[in-house]
Amino acid sequence: MKKAFTPLLALFFLAGSGFTFLAAAGDWRIADGYSIIFSTEEASGIFKNFKGTIVFDEQHPASSKFDVTIDAASINTGNALQNKHAKSDEWFDAAKYPQIHFVSRNFAGTSAGYQVTGDLEMHGVKKPFTIPFTFKRTATGGLFAGVFIVNRTDFHVGKPGGQVSDQIKLEVSVPVTK
Amino acid sequence: MFNRSLLLGIVSGVLAGIAGIVYSRVYYTVNEADFSGVASGIRILSASLFGGILAAMGYVALDRLLKRKGEVVFNLLFTLLSFASLLVPIAYKLPLNLETPELFPGMVIPMHFFPALAWYTLKPLFFRRN
Repeated sequence: MKKAFTPLLALFFLAGSGFTFLAAAGDWRIADGYSIIFSTEEASGIFKNFKGTIVFDEQHPASSKFDVTIDAASINTGNALQNKHAKSDEWFDAAKYPQIHFVSRNFAGTSAGYQVTGDLEMHGVKKPFTIPFTFKRTATGGLFAGVFIVNRTDFHVGKPGGQVSDQIKLEVSVPVTK
Repeated sequence: MFNRSLLLGIVSGVLAGIAGIVYSRVYYTVNEADFSGVASGIRILSASLFGGILAAMGYVALDRLLKRKGEVVFNLLFTLLSFASLLVPIAYKLPLNLETPELFPGMVIPMHFFPALAWYTLKPLFFRRN
């Protein structure tokens, strides 16, 4: 029994490492070159900082997981005054709510690709939110892309009505690598 | 009168342009903020030249219209318009790949006064007091 202990231990770790590999099969790392573009008729810009963990398997989307954050203070409209205004307590209040956070709950396939439903937390308000997206394999990994609308008043960002539309269009493109 | 004004406008425009280009280089060295894609040397020079020539035309027009008071009104207008033109860089929307848009007005605003500064500096060389 004592002699068999070492080979058994080796076998255990070997098997364990195999499971580790399987568990990591859907893990993706967010690569440089991502873009988070928002636009309305009145204002547009990008969020520069985006990070998080992405687990996605196109064969088994139900087992996938997104947990991603955007730094609210990384907003860039191309104009210094607009940036300052967007970060202020009138809009994102980036000092108090520094992150826009999305955590997935479930995934589903659609005719156009996939959709993920989860909790979107922005400006201190957490709401269920669905994001349609596509995923394409590339030479270096993959590319997630999605275009969707966020109603900013649902998250108490800015005053309803006013000079900027309530409906904000978001175009997200996230290259990923293994 | 017109020829001398035009020459003053061109010379002061070129001088303002050169000062603007030098200032933009210094600004880049100090702040590491490169706006050459938006405010290139050629653009700075041509905008300054445009300002100088516009000033020359305004100077001649006001001199003919208002005679003795023309110069006073011109100086006032030139300074006021230079101030008013600050709204352009403040409201300007830069390409989103530029990292620090908040540093852009700091570079461009002083340049808006260079044509007027050059004009006032060089004018005694072109128009001598009677």
